[in-house]
Amino acid sequence: MTATLSASMPRARTRRGRRVNRSRAAAWIAVAVIGFFGLAPVYWLVVTALTPDEKAFSFPPSLIPTEITFEHFTRLAENRQLFGYLLNSVIVSVITAVLSVLVSAYMAYAFSKFRYRGRRSLMHLVLASQLFPQALLLVTLYAVFSASGLLGSYTALILSFTTFTLPLCVWMLKGIFDTVPSTLMEAAAIDGASRWRTLHTIALPLAAPGLIAAGLFAFVRAWNDFIFALTLADPARQTLPPGLVHTYLGEFQTAWPDLMAASFVVSLPVIAAFMFLQRYLVGGLTAGAVKG
Amino acid sequence: MNTLNRRDALRLLGLSTLGVAALAACAPDASGGGAPQGDTAAKTFGFTSWSLNEEAQKAAVQAIVDDYAKKNGVTITPTSFPYNEYLNQVTLKLRGNQLTGAIQLDVAWLGAMAAMGKLRDLGPVAGKGGYTDVALASGQVGGKQLGLPWTTGSIGLIANTELLEKAGVDGMPATVEEFEAALRKIAKLDGVVPYAAATKAAQLKDILPWMRTFGSPLLDGEEITVGDEPSVAAVEWYKKLFDAKLIAPDVDRFDARALFAQGKAAFYDDAIIARGVVESQAPDKTLTTKMAPLARPVLKAGDTPQALLWGHVIAVVEGEGADAAAEFASFATSDTATVASFFEKVKLPPTTTAGLADPKVAGDTFTTEWTEKITKTASANPFWRYAGYAQIETAIAEQVQAVLVGDASAKDALAKAAETAKGLQK
Repeated sequence: MTATLSASMPRARTRRGRRVNRSRAAAWIAVAVIGFFGLAPVYWLVVTALTPDEKAFSFPPSLIPTEITFEHFTRLAENRQLFGYLLNSVIVSVITAVLSVLVSAYMAYAFSKFRYRGRRSLMHLVLASQLFPQALLLVTLYAVFSASGLLGSYTALILSFTTFTLPLCVWMLKGIFDTVPSTLMEAAAIDGASRWRTLHTIALPLAAPGLIAAGLFAFVRAWNDFIFALTLADPARQTLPPGLVHTYLGEFQTAWPDLMAASFVVSLPVIAAFMFLQRYLVGGLTAGAVKG
Repeated sequence: MNTLNRRDALRLLGLSTLGVAALAACAPDASGGGAPQGDTAAKTFGFTSWSLNEEAQKAAVQAIVDDYAKKNGVTITPTSFPYNEYLNQVTLKLRGNQLTGAIQLDVAWLGAMAAMGKLRDLGPVAGKGGYTDVALASGQVGGKQLGLPWTTGSIGLIANTELLEKAGVDGMPATVEEFEAALRKIAKLDGVVPYAAATKAAQLKDILPWMRTFGSPLLDGEEITVGDEPSVAAVEWYKKLFDAKLIAPDVDRFDARALFAQGKAAFYDDAIIARGVVESQAPDKTLTTKMAPLARPVLKAGDTPQALLWGHVIAVVEGEGADAAAEFASFATSDTATVASFFEKVKLPPTTTAGLADPKVAGDTFTTEWTEKITKTASANPFWRYAGYAQIETAIAEQVQAVLVGDASAKDALAKAAETAKGLQK
C-alpha cells in the first residue's frame, strides 16, 4: 500500500506539473494572441510612418521596412497648424477632465451618501442619457449651441464632451463612495466636521484613485472625439482628430505615412499619462466593483 | 446589490421618453425650409470648400479667393471640412442657417442639396459664363442651374501603354470583346492584374457604367431598371472576368491606384485627377507618360462609350451676401485667366469653351485626350437625383459583390438590389 502510494505520488505530481505547464502555455498563447492584436496595428503605424512615400504604396506591402526615412516626422515638426490643433486638444481635454471630475464627484457623493426622494430616478436619468445615439445628440446640441451663440467655441466642445463623460464618471464614483464606510462620516460628524468638510477632507482623498480614473476616462474621451469636434468647433478651435483628417485625408489621396507619423506623435501624451497614472486607473476602475 | 425593479424600469422608461421629447423639441426644423435670412446685397459672404484645406489645391483656391476679394472690395470668410465629412457638415449647417455665400459641391451631391430648397438658381449668371453643355448640365437639377461648374471631368478607363505593348496588345480595345481579349493577353504577364476594377463593395458602384454599356438605362423615368437583362449580362460578364482572374478580388480605388502606380495593373478606372495621384505614388517617374485615357469599350461598334460624369460646382446659398457670392462663383469658374491659372496649378480641367481653348489647357495632351475620349460622352449617375443615392449605390454594390463571391446568381442578386433601391427613391 505504502509502496503503491509512494509510486503514485510522483506520477500525480507529474500530472499536476503537466496541468500547470499546459495552463501556463495556454495563458502565454492567450497573451501572445491578444498582444498581437493590440500591438500589430501600432507596429504597422510606426513602420508606415518610417517608410518613404513611394515605398508606402508598394504592393504587396512589406512587413519589414527595407528603407527608413524620418521625413514625415520632419514635415510634422514644420507644420505649425498641427501644433494649433494639439494645443486645442490639450485645452479641451484637460478642462473636460477637470470639469467632469468636479461635477461627477459631487453628484456621485450625493447619490451615494444622501437619501432623498427621487434619488434612484435621478440616477437612472443620468444613465439614460447614454442610451441616445450620439448622432441624435449632435444634431440637438448643434441647435442648442447655435441658438445660444456658443457654436464654434471651446465652451461648446467642453460642455458637449462633459455631457457624455458625466454619466459613466458619476456611476463609477458612486460605486467608489459606496465603499467608503459611513462610520467614517459619522465619526467626522461627531468630531464636529460639517458635511462639506467631511466630503473634502475624508471622502474625496479616499476616492482619489477613482477621481483619477474618471478624469483619465474623460480626458481620453475628449482627446479622441472626432465628429463633435468637427461639427461644434470653428476651424481655429478644432482638435487633433478632425485636424489630422483635415490635413492628411483628401478627396483623391491620403498621405498615409504623414498621417501615421502624426498619429504616433499625438498618441504619446496619452500613453505617457496612462503609464504615469495606470496604478490609479486600475485601482479606481475596480474600487467600486465590490462593496466592503 | 443594486437591481432594477419594475417600478424603477418604468421610471427609467418614462424619463427616457421625456428626454427624447425634450431633445426632439430642441432639434432643428427637419424641413430645412424657411425664408432666406440676411441682406442678399451684402458684400461679406462665406466660401465653404474642402479644397481650401487640401495640400494639393489649397494655395491655388486661396489665391482665387484673395484675388477676387482684392479686386472687388468684398470680404470672403473661408470655411473648410474634410471631403469625407463634407456633405454631412454642409447639410447640418445649411439646415441650421449657419451657412451663407458660396459652397463647393461634388456634382453627385447637388440633388441632395437641392432638396433642401436653399440654393439660388444661377441660371442668369450661367448664361453669361460660356460653359460647355456637358459642364452646364452637371450643375442642373430639376431644370434649375443650382451650381456653376468649376471643373468637369469624368471617371473613365486609364491604360498603362507599356504593359499593353509588352503583352502584345495592338491599339486600344474599342469593344467589350476586344477588351476581354486584351485582358487575357495581359494576364500572361507575371504579377500583373490585367484590370484593377473595383471589387470591394465600397467602390463597386463603378460597375454602373458597365451596366449602361450593356444597354441598361439604370433608371427609366422613375422606374429602376437594375435587374433587367442588360444589367444582369453586365454582372455575369464581370463575374467571368473575376473567375478568370482578369480582375482581382478586394480592390477599391485606392488599391487600384497603388497597383497601377507600381506598374502592376494595365487598366483601371479613375477620375482625370489620376495623373497627379499616380505620379506622387509611382517609383517610376516616367509612368505618367505611359498613361493613356481610353473610351470605355462598347458592346458593339457604333455604341456610345459610357463614362460617369465627375466634377465640382460652386453653388450659392440664398440669403446674406448671395448676390456677391454668385458673382464670385461666376468669376472663379469662368474668368479665363483664373481658370487657366487654376488648371496650371492643379490640373483640374476648366468648364468653359474659352478656358479649354487656352494654350495652358489645350497644350496638355492628357487632358485634351481625356476630354475628347471620355468626358465628351459622360453622363451623370441617374440616382444622384435622390437624396438616398449613396444607399442605392451601396445596395447595388453589395449584391454585385454577392455575385462575385458566388453567394447569388446575377439575376437574383440584382432583383434584390432593385427591390432595396426602390425603397430608397425619395
